[in-house]
Amino acid sequence: MLFSPGWRAPVRQGQVLAVFSAGLLLGGTLTATVLWLLSGLTAPLPGVARAGLIIAVAVLGVAREAGWVRIPMPQNARQIPQEVLRARIRRGALRFGFELGTGVRTYVSASAPYVVALGLLLAHQGPVPTILTGTGFGIGRAATAATRYASRHDEWDDRRVTRMPLLKNAIALTVLVALVLLVVRGR
Amino acid sequence: MRMPAAEAVPAGRLRRGLTEPLLPFAALALLAVAAAAADHAVLCWASVGALAGYSLSGSV
Repeated sequence: MLFSPGWRAPVRQGQVLAVFSAGLLLGGTLTATVLWLLSGLTAPLPGVARAGLIIAVAVLGVAREAGWVRIPMPQNARQIPQEVLRARIRRGALRFGFELGTGVRTYVSASAPYVVALGLLLAHQGPVPTILTGTGFGIGRAATAATRYASRHDEWDDRRVTRMPLLKNAIALTVLVALVLLVVRGR
Repeated sequence: MRMPAAEAVPAGRLRRGLTEPLLPFAALALLAVAAAAADHAVLCWASVGALAGYSLSGSV
């Protein structure tokens, strides 16, 4: 694994983490830019309708994550091939990070990314908040790699697996609370 | 009153605590909700985006 303690490649692992994180940020930013362009399609909807839909989508996100409703969502059901890391480790890490950061090149195993993407489409904000949300997405993904690297122990993966169900539900709920607050405060 | 001597925390335990997978979530959740309450839309959306990214905490 890219950030496991058993690292033996001739490149410093910290460098690989930095390049990988840069790729994640670039990927997230690119996807958010596309979402910003597409968000113009929802502009004709009244503000109240868009706000209501954002909250409805966030509520569905909580319900889907909790398993109360089954809503199949589109995803690219493939893993990014490990070969991208084999030839040139730095360039491969950048590409690997970029593909993960876009959120459309591999599995999406949680509801929150869909809620945020649809929220951005419906919110139809300026380019800065939309694009920074995508950059934030990349930062969130990079936080996993950074925490894994900082732990210096394989046992971290066990803790992550144990916490994932709680984490995904708590994140869906937090996204709902934050978006409701934002909509209410913005009125 | 004499204060008890500070108990030394082994580096492994400290590192384990600081790299707890729930910690980034807690920090980002606080930031997102606080930004929303303060009507700071840009920071709120960016934090919510980061939470969405963190929800895909796969093994890397």
